[in-house]
Amino acid sequence: MSIGARFQSVGVAFGGRPVVEEAAFEVRPGERTAILGPNGGGKTTLIRVLLGLLVPDRGRVVFFENGREIPRPRIGYLSQRSTLTADAPLSGCDLVALTLGPAAGFRRLRGAREEAHAALTRAGLPGDKMDLPVGRLSGGQRQRVLLARAIAGAPPLLVLDEPDTALDAEGLATLRRLVAEEIAAGRTVVYVTHDSDAMGGADAVFHVDGHVSAGFAGHVHGTAP
Amino acid sequence: MIEFLGYPFFQRALLAGALTGLLCGALSFFVVLRRLAFVGSGVAHAAFGGVALATLLGLPTGLGGLAASLAVAAATARASESSGVTEDTAVAVFTVAAMAGGVVALGFVKTNVDLFGLMFGNILTVDPGDLLLLAGAAGAILVALAFFFRPLLLASVDEEGARVAGVATGAMRLLVLTLVAVAVVAALKVVGILLVSALLVLPGATARPLASRWPGFLGISIAVALVSVLGGLLLSVALDIASGAAIILLGTCLFVAALAVARIRAGRST
Repeated sequence: MSIGARFQSVGVAFGGRPVVEEAAFEVRPGERTAILGPNGGGKTTLIRVLLGLLVPDRGRVVFFENGREIPRPRIGYLSQRSTLTADAPLSGCDLVALTLGPAAGFRRLRGAREEAHAALTRAGLPGDKMDLPVGRLSGGQRQRVLLARAIAGAPPLLVLDEPDTALDAEGLATLRRLVAEEIAAGRTVVYVTHDSDAMGGADAVFHVDGHVSAGFAGHVHGTAP
Repeated sequence: MIEFLGYPFFQRALLAGALTGLLCGALSFFVVLRRLAFVGSGVAHAAFGGVALATLLGLPTGLGGLAASLAVAAATARASESSGVTEDTAVAVFTVAAMAGGVVALGFVKTNVDLFGLMFGNILTVDPGDLLLLAGAAGAILVALAFFFRPLLLASVDEEGARVAGVATGAMRLLVLTLVAVAVVAALKVVGILLVSALLVLPGATARPLASRWPGFLGISIAVALVSVLGGLLLSVALDIASGAAIILLGTCLFVAALAVARIRAGRST
């Protein structure tokens, strides 16, 4: 079953200055939802609330499956600016495997490296680069590692924050293909963008500029409201 | 030097050195990876205030040192998480406050306090009780590091990615600082406050330029700590010099050598 998310009157203020007011909209299960808006309009703030990285001052985000409320699911995330340390002593495979099984414990994670290899292959990272430290990868290869991390383990919800600014043209084509595959598999995709067509079209588009001023249900291609 | 190996006090010193090396080498990996060199040093120095206050109150000095280090570690983690103050700023403030409190407390102490021993330690005077405490602390810290290794590693290299993956990054930060505090107090008698803070940084700093992935980084860090402590101890006997200073000077030599090796490697690859 696909996962959906409902923003219920979400409000966020930084230093007393409201960034997002009364955001109320729904990310429908199994659909591509685009979030558009000007810089500083609150797009990334809403994404951070969705991810649980930011607690809103008002309202909340409810996740649901089959009409019933569920706890926050595992979310695959590709950020606009990764906080991954440039000289992290990890290979792409290490990083993806670690993200798949970050819980404390003594047991070795079975199958995590195989799953990481599969995700890296899907993201288009050459096999000979998978075990190199991330610091030795090019910018584009590094982005593919982060993309692989986002899709690894088939998270029911995939969140992409301005992926078109972080990836080169080839990487973006790969991402479009992956998003199409994820949607076909019944997963939900949310992306922040300046171009709603960036992921090959959106099923719903929301415009964020301090508040969510418009929501478009139905298939929308490349048109900002 | 061989005859020294037959003396129980020297055997205890070697065992204490090995435990301290293992402990500091493993912790140093995270201290350097999380760029906590100054924070680790600050938490170590905070123990001074606690030891002085415990002396004044007639309490066990180890307990006082542990309380002060833990208090500074918790206050640092709390301040950096909730108020936007960076960890190095927070620890600088709390550490000098703890040390100043220690100086004030020592002013009221009527008996002689071995300040030199507190700051530099004396590994050759380790008694069986100290050894037992050190072994217990080392065991507990190493088990904790092994149990929390995955979330600690992920949170150390990508805080936001770790949070999205469900890791409590604030708790991981507090865990590292708490383990540093416990290690400081456990190793106090062996190398002292000043030198334990160096041992929490030198092994990891030496391993960093030599290893590009974590298994090598961690392994070299532990090896450097063991070589520094045990080699320094043997050198101190052979050259009749202070053991704590010999340990740190040997560690510093290894650090400089690692930088030279990294430079040669970089020259070859260009």
